[in-house]
Amino acid sequence: MVEMEKAGVPTVSFTAAGFVKDARRSAQAFGLTALPVAVVPLPLTNQTPEEVRRAIDGCIDQVIQGLTESPATIVEAPAAGPAAERLTIEGADTLEALDRMNALFLERGWSDAFPLVPPTPDRVERMLGGTRRARDEVVAVLEPGFGVGTVEKIAINAVMAGCRPEHLPVVLAAVEAVADPRFLLRIAAMSTGPHAPLILVNGPIAKELGINSGRCTLGPGAQSYPNVVIGRALRLIYMNVGQAYPGLMDMDTIGSANKFSLCAAENEEANPWEPFHVEKGFDRAESAVTVQTVYGQTDVLDFANTTPERLLQTIVSAATNIAIGSTGRWLEGHWADPRTKVEVRDHGLLMLCPEHAAIIAKHGWSKADVRRFLYEHARLPFRLLRWTKEPSTLIAGRPDLQWLLRYPDLELPIFEVPECFEIAVVGGPAGRSMYFYGAHEPVTKPIAR
Amino acid sequence: MRLEILNPQAATIEHTAKAAHRASDLRGKRIGLYWNLKAGGDHALTRAAELLSQRLPGVTFKRYWGEVGSLFRMATASDVQRIAVECDAVIGTTSD
Repeated sequence: MVEMEKAGVPTVSFTAAGFVKDARRSAQAFGLTALPVAVVPLPLTNQTPEEVRRAIDGCIDQVIQGLTESPATIVEAPAAGPAAERLTIEGADTLEALDRMNALFLERGWSDAFPLVPPTPDRVERMLGGTRRARDEVVAVLEPGFGVGTVEKIAINAVMAGCRPEHLPVVLAAVEAVADPRFLLRIAAMSTGPHAPLILVNGPIAKELGINSGRCTLGPGAQSYPNVVIGRALRLIYMNVGQAYPGLMDMDTIGSANKFSLCAAENEEANPWEPFHVEKGFDRAESAVTVQTVYGQTDVLDFANTTPERLLQTIVSAATNIAIGSTGRWLEGHWADPRTKVEVRDHGLLMLCPEHAAIIAKHGWSKADVRRFLYEHARLPFRLLRWTKEPSTLIAGRPDLQWLLRYPDLELPIFEVPECFEIAVVGGPAGRSMYFYGAHEPVTKPIAR
Repeated sequence: MRLEILNPQAATIEHTAKAAHRASDLRGKRIGLYWNLKAGGDHALTRAAELLSQRLPGVTFKRYWGEVGSLFRMATASDVQRIAVECDAVIGTTSD
């Protein structure tokens, strides 16, 4: 809508009351804080047409006002100026000062709600020793708030998360991954869904840093300490650099424990095929980090089956979930960013446990065979793929596919192409894999020391 | 005891944009109804058009949705240009 205003077209947008602050902050990020809105009590989703009509009846005067009165007449509370670059916390002793720091960070929204490590100048300086990059180098500008992610700001948040200096290169590469246009960070960070960045580390650096690829790789526990703090650093960076603060621009309806930290290393020793990053074009000896937005996951317990077909059928049953937004979404088009012209598909991520991977490979199946099986078998009738969507969105968005409305029982794959199934080998012994419901595509970046 | 710490918040790139000029009267104007394909948005725009037609003689409406996207659609630069030529004002939905 800001672009339309810049093109000389007055606009007003329907916005639910609970999203007005988010709308204002988003509009501010694009330079027009006072972008007019007409406020409806509740989101228009999950409402009957009659309920929607009543909501619009209640705010039609705001529509006329928004289109006929200058937005400058809307009184805005002045935004608080940025806090100082250095803060001093006083306390009777170190512990009290630390308590007060954490209380302050909670009050300002700079915290993920777990106690933080204080980012003292000395600790940040030590963290910066983990990279050769200059402290004021801009690694990325992160949406939704267009925050300037310098090496130093990233390092500050890495200290807070509990990272050690040797973890910083992984964190920097993860930031580069989420800033890649193909990651669609703006959508991932602002959604009403529980979008969490899942980090997957490959290459020699995983062993060097002790990033756990085996039992309990996703935590909790000391064996996954690097995993936990690297994942946590990325969340703090989403917030304090990208401005994806919960309730302000991160509008996640319920939230998710995944959003605190979600980081694993691939178990390359147990992987019977080429490692994940090699598939993405890297050399086996290179270290790389992949970040993929995920909604959530399901345990895939299969202790019984010993053939690829039966094992993968278990995974098919997990993948064919109509409650997940990405199921069948390809029928309405690709995710896109009109500014960069990037278009991406939704991908799911299968973390195969070593046993399951070994069984599949023992029968001579490749990753491509796995993908082909999943693609062909993870199908649902068209009417179920549309269960959570209105026919009008297909008619408007993909008129070329309207004919499908006449064939409600026609089975279609949940993803557009087999390559939408990503596969990594992760975890310890015992026949439990994990299937992640993904949004958008994963992005892989090299880790530079 | 004084604990000195560094601010974790990044500076932000500030964009500036000017709101479009508004006419004080919408009678006879062309109003775009922009739907981002989120559920309920089409019903909202239909109702808005009904109500405005009752109040504003001569007003006309045209529907738009973004050229790109899936679950929700976004307007490209060419969408915006087309809307700017064809409309005097736009009602949009849904910003949730």
